[in-house]
Amino acid sequence: MELLNVYQNNYLIVFVFLCLGVLLPVVALYLGKLLRPYKPSDAKYTTYESGIEPFHDSRVQFNVRYYIFALMFVIFDVETVFLYPWAVAYDKLGIFALVEMLIFVAMLLIGLVYAWKKKVLRWI
Amino acid sequence: MDLETLKSFEWSVMTPEFIILGVAALLTLLDLFLPKKMDRRILGWIGIVGILAAILSVASLLNVESTSILDDSFTFDAFGKSFKLILLVGSALVMFLAISYDAKEGMEDYRGEFYYLFLSALLGAMIMTSSGDLITLFIGLELLTVSSYILAGIRKHNLQSNESAMKYVINGGISTAITLFGMSYVYGLTGTTNLFEIANKLAAVTNGQQAYLLGLAFLMIFVGLSFKLAAAPFHMWAPDVYQGAPTPVTAFLSVISKSAGFVIVIRILISVFYNAAPTDNGEGILFKMHDYLAVIAAVTMIIGNVVALKQTNIKRLFAYSSIAHAGYILVALTTMSSNLLYSIWFYLLAYMLMNLGAFAVIQVVTEQAGSSKISDFAGLARRSPILAVLMGILLVSLAGFPGTAGFIGKLNIFVGAFYGTPHYVLAAIMIATTVISYFYYFGIMTQMFFRPASDERKLNIPFGIVVVLLVAVVGSILFGIMPNIALDFLNNLH
Repeated sequence: MELLNVYQNNYLIVFVFLCLGVLLPVVALYLGKLLRPYKPSDAKYTTYESGIEPFHDSRVQFNVRYYIFALMFVIFDVETVFLYPWAVAYDKLGIFALVEMLIFVAMLLIGLVYAWKKKVLRWI
Repeated sequence: MDLETLKSFEWSVMTPEFIILGVAALLTLLDLFLPKKMDRRILGWIGIVGILAAILSVASLLNVESTSILDDSFTFDAFGKSFKLILLVGSALVMFLAISYDAKEGMEDYRGEFYYLFLSALLGAMIMTSSGDLITLFIGLELLTVSSYILAGIRKHNLQSNESAMKYVINGGISTAITLFGMSYVYGLTGTTNLFEIANKLAAVTNGQQAYLLGLAFLMIFVGLSFKLAAAPFHMWAPDVYQGAPTPVTAFLSVISKSAGFVIVIRILISVFYNAAPTDNGEGILFKMHDYLAVIAAVTMIIGNVVALKQTNIKRLFAYSSIAHAGYILVALTTMSSNLLYSIWFYLLAYMLMNLGAFAVIQVVTEQAGSSKISDFAGLARRSPILAVLMGILLVSLAGFPGTAGFIGKLNIFVGAFYGTPHYVLAAIMIATTVISYFYYFGIMTQMFFRPASDERKLNIPFGIVVVLLVAVVGSILFGIMPNIALDFLNNLH
């Protein structure tokens, strides 16, 4: 509680970082504009597409299924993130953490069953 | 934590939560594995049985002394018991509405989910009622709101339902973020998430700068939670969401979600801010912030009641009416009288009964008419006299006439406004806006009793609706004539 100054100084650091974050692109782009030569030609104004001639609309639709797969992946990714530290510190955490982990895994299992029955795992 | 401490906890006080969690998980699995053609209403009935079992287990635990387990993150006290009963009974009635709900479109494949999402939302609300820790409070709040977002949009192929869910997600997300930011300040100042420890630490704060930060935290938490209560000026989402959501979900949002909102407001405001950063004469920060509460209460009552006058859609009208009722309860919160808990608890009980009853009638009428205009109520007295009379009783209770639970609820709050420092202005606004509310409640009455029906078909009333109406009307009259039952019940809790 006495360390209120320290507490507020932390926000000062956040503020400095915010200012840096805003200033950096502004300064960098402005410096670039000052230094680079300006010689436009038609070829320079075409869209860059890895060296080939651009032939497509720039707006491409992805299948929405990628999104659901990504979501599924994230769920199990998070599960691993939780399981690793638990496994490492298993001896210290004891039976309570084991029970909690079992509940957690069981809940995720219901989620997986849900995804399976709702045909998320099938690619049409 | 080893096995011995784990065994020493009294897990039995969590039985109601375990029952709801188990039934919700069971319904999820059943919904996935039952044959596709089977009627999913059976899941709704299992849900009701589960809720009734949870009510019974709360009732059997009523005499248990206040206990807290898991480092106070679950506290089973009189506050939790009393509010848990309101939430459980309300949810049971909402489930009856949901079973009788027959949407024209967009519900075909999701009827099962409809039932267990109510249960998971209820579980979130129940965790909030008996939580002594900021983290579990927040988890409960999120469980409730995330389930409600899905419920609002469960009619997947209905445009209004989609709009409603979208608006709810965006507004709810922003308000949650604001609340959480406020909570982070409280944590930053105290270094703990335990509400009791926070209260102790904050009572020792004397530094003006810290009190200033605390004031900011208070405002942010309160503004964020005002969204959940649909208190003006943070109410704009409510009419659109209420209108688009399926009727049982609207009933759920306006009763259970709102009660849960008040639960978390009371928990945080009273336990964290009541004695925080006291001035020389011992008044906590809540007294300094008292004017903000008063303004929000007054604006909520005025906007809710006045804008309701212009509504032509019955669900929007009830959205504004529910905003107005939140305003009345905020008056009780502002005055901080000694009967604060009783008056808020009783008002929420009365409001749960009368509002759910009214929504039962709304559901029958709007489903038959295929729209939700107030003019669909025209000639209800001729089409179904009993339904019209029951709706009449509920409307009278909502308006707050003597002899009904709504009247006693308002009376408690009104009298409470004169305890300690009297709040004449708030009390006057409360009376004036109550008079304004007569216009729109009796507008529905005139439609029902004095307008010719455009549609002469008889209404068929499903069983679930009958149950809800019976409980609602009997409860409204019983607590209106003998409010001492509720008072004795609350006084005998410990």
